[in-house]
Amino acid sequence: MNSPHHKRILIFLLTSVGLIVLPHSVNIPPALFGFFSLMLGWRFACVWRPQYLPTVRVLFFLTMLALVLLLSQHRHLLGRDAGTNLFILALGLKLLEIKAERDIYLVTYLAFIVAASLFLYEQSLFMAAYILAVCCVLFATLVAINSLQIHTRAALKTATVIVMQAIPLTVIIFILFPRVEAPRWMLFEEKNKAKIGLSDSMEPGSISDLGTSEELVFRVKFTGDIPPPKLRYWRGPVLSYTDGKRWTQVRFKAPVANPSYAGTAYSYTLLMETQEKDWVFGLDLPAQFSNPLVQNGYYQLINLENPHKRAEYQITSYSQYNTGNLTRSEYQTSIQLPREPSDKIKQLVTQLHGFDSKPDALIQQILNHFRQEDFHYTLTPPLMEDNPIDSFLFSTKRGFCSHYASAFVYLMRVAHIPARVVTGYQGGQFNRVGNFLEIRQANAHAWAEVWLENQGWVRVDPTAAIAPERIEQQLNLDQLELGGDIRFDAGDAKQLNWLKQTRQLWENADYQWQRWVVNYDSNNQSDFLSQFGIHDFKTMMQWLMTLVGLMTVILSGFLLYQKKKATDPVLRLYQQFCQKLQAAGLTRTDREGAVDFAHRATTALPEHAEIIEEITTAFIQLRYGRVTTREDFGKFAKLVAGFKLNNRKP
Amino acid sequence: MDDAITLTHRRIFILPTKRGGGMGLLIVILLLIAFVYNNNLAYLLTFLIASVFFITILHTFKSMAGLVVQAGQTKAVFAGEAAGFDIHIDNPNAVERPHLQIKLSKPQSFFLNPHSKTTQTLYSPTQKRGWHNAGTVTVFSTYPFGLFYAWSPLRFNTNALVYPKPSTLELPFPETPSADAELGVNHKGADDFYGLQEYQAGDSIKHIHWKAFAKGQGIFSKQYSGNGTAAEVWLHYDYAAGHDTEQRLSQLCRWVIDAERADIRYGLVLPNLKLMPDNGANHYRQCLEALALL
Repeated sequence: MNSPHHKRILIFLLTSVGLIVLPHSVNIPPALFGFFSLMLGWRFACVWRPQYLPTVRVLFFLTMLALVLLLSQHRHLLGRDAGTNLFILALGLKLLEIKAERDIYLVTYLAFIVAASLFLYEQSLFMAAYILAVCCVLFATLVAINSLQIHTRAALKTATVIVMQAIPLTVIIFILFPRVEAPRWMLFEEKNKAKIGLSDSMEPGSISDLGTSEELVFRVKFTGDIPPPKLRYWRGPVLSYTDGKRWTQVRFKAPVANPSYAGTAYSYTLLMETQEKDWVFGLDLPAQFSNPLVQNGYYQLINLENPHKRAEYQITSYSQYNTGNLTRSEYQTSIQLPREPSDKIKQLVTQLHGFDSKPDALIQQILNHFRQEDFHYTLTPPLMEDNPIDSFLFSTKRGFCSHYASAFVYLMRVAHIPARVVTGYQGGQFNRVGNFLEIRQANAHAWAEVWLENQGWVRVDPTAAIAPERIEQQLNLDQLELGGDIRFDAGDAKQLNWLKQTRQLWENADYQWQRWVVNYDSNNQSDFLSQFGIHDFKTMMQWLMTLVGLMTVILSGFLLYQKKKATDPVLRLYQQFCQKLQAAGLTRTDREGAVDFAHRATTALPEHAEIIEEITTAFIQLRYGRVTTREDFGKFAKLVAGFKLNNRKP
Repeated sequence: MDDAITLTHRRIFILPTKRGGGMGLLIVILLLIAFVYNNNLAYLLTFLIASVFFITILHTFKSMAGLVVQAGQTKAVFAGEAAGFDIHIDNPNAVERPHLQIKLSKPQSFFLNPHSKTTQTLYSPTQKRGWHNAGTVTVFSTYPFGLFYAWSPLRFNTNALVYPKPSTLELPFPETPSADAELGVNHKGADDFYGLQEYQAGDSIKHIHWKAFAKGQGIFSKQYSGNGTAAEVWLHYDYAAGHDTEQRLSQLCRWVIDAERADIRYGLVLPNLKLMPDNGANHYRQCLEALALL
């Protein structure tokens, strides 16, 4: 195993193994990654210094060490993390024990399994491209083993070409291979990384930083009309109970009454990223939706079945709706206050004609109050621990959406008007390339809902009332602007610089990738295939077989078709010469070499001996000689052309 | 003689190797991982590897298809030596053949550039005199990944002539009476092998008794009676020592070799044939052929 040939194969193999395990450095415990790196480094050193390869005893010790490491991390060997670690350690140990060609194959196969395990952690387009590239290197290792001479580039090229040729077939199988959900017992712990998101309670006074994360929450693709920015409110948990500081949900199982809808129907596909809650943020107000979604008493959509997975939902919403009358218990929860409001607040409500005017008039009064008084919008408000509503309204006057929404609802309730806080997302950035909206954590928002006679619940967004010049946080400004709340200069928002455009292009590719590849489950599959009239398992299999067969035929045609007339021009000229001699009754047999034939020909035609020999020598030089030039060929061609038999029979 | 054989789909067989079987197992494991975790990218990787595995069949086939294989010359050998068969392999296409193998008893590797040819000499051990058939020549390839084994068994009607194994016994040439009275010549005593004498400068190199020299017994010249005129022996089947035909032929073979080396004119008398005394490469071959084919 020490010839230069094997050295190069080993370098190839170790490099590709290193490349495969590298992205796992963020997924596996540092101790295990360190162990693997040590094994790999050791093996790399042994390519040049084979005497340092571990003995059987050392290997045994290393194996024990690996097992102890593994058990200290997991205590069992099932599940994604433990399984991945097991394969990586096995790969590391096997590297030190490469003795025969068989072991190289085993290492390669283990590396493929580790590559698959990477997808259990990350399914991005980038990761897929990376793995594809490393697969080419792994296959190139096999090419190198099976070649007589190793040219690194040639091996890589061969492997890449074959992998590329395999891609159409892969796509066909991917589309048509039946997707069946694995039975429950087979699912090991599938913990999803906790994602930051909205929580089921809100405590404006105790938060001093919110919603600056650019993390994607969901994407929406509309099939028809796209709602204008001011209507893009994505409904999340409704908070109707407050203890003065904290706002929490009160559970209602199902909507009390079905609202009546009017206006434009917005149909869309909502692609939810993974989250730890079971909420789906429908456009205010979702009317039609399919399983597994249900609606709770606050018209919020909930996925009860498998909420933590990234999933796609078809929803239709209406921007105009009437939720009808309130029930008694609903009314009670919607005017609930923890204690008698302070005199200052009562005074403010009185001042705003809260007790002697219509509810809609009060709404305008309060919004005007926010607008005219010295209220500021900021993402980093001062903490208001003790009496947050009072502090906010009368002393600090700084806050973000939650402060405004909670203060607004509180004031409405003081005036005995049913009101509640709605949390969710607002706005979203439109991706022009992919024609969809992206809603990020930074779009998190809180607004208010007020119940009005004959109108039902009506959305009021007090944050929108803040005077634009008082907005302190530049980052969020961009969001609000895109959301349509605040407009400074309409031209600015429309301008897209190339950086933004590139980002949108990428986001679009990523969206399509998530939608069509990562998210391609049995539902998507049957939807997609039914467009082509494939409805049942049997036709699916028939199509699979037919297309794979067709692809094979195309590929074999492409690979195996060779031009018939590809013979050497030198040989063709020589054959012309032979044909001329045939006229004299001299036929070159298959087994007769050029020299033998020339000998026979000169004996038979002594008068042509000189030229026959000249042609034969030139032919041998051109066909078998080491150095041939274009002039040589020209000379040969002239000789053959000029060769003529005398008519005189010998 | 044999025609050239072009390797086409009728002649090329393909089966997965053990390593190919291993990859099949890998695909099953990957499919299971993809299924359990319901992970589409794991599915994608599985299908990619499965597709590569599948089209490797085509590539392995392609690594051999179109080759033109032709049996070439053979060289006669003595029994016990390995007979060599020349096999010409021509690559008439514009594709490179990075790794081909051919075997009779032991595999040999080679590669072919586009539009080029090579000649591989395959050896097959011999035991018996007579015609030795090449048997089945197998051209095979596992290129590019070693996952599939494509092979083409080729039977050429080509034979190598195997001469009897020369006896190891050092016997002097037989003292034969005139083998052919009709000719009326009796060279007995005239140009006969007389004995050995220590080498002296000037002795013909052809007369050196190489066997003795090889055994480290010193340099001896073979001496012939008759004053330098060509000696002549009759190598007679009946006078050759041995219990059976093979032993006798073996002894005759030894004598033919020795006589040719010693530059003696020798005639061969076999039960079915008689070759007049002569020497030289042609005669030598004729005699050995007669011995081989008796």
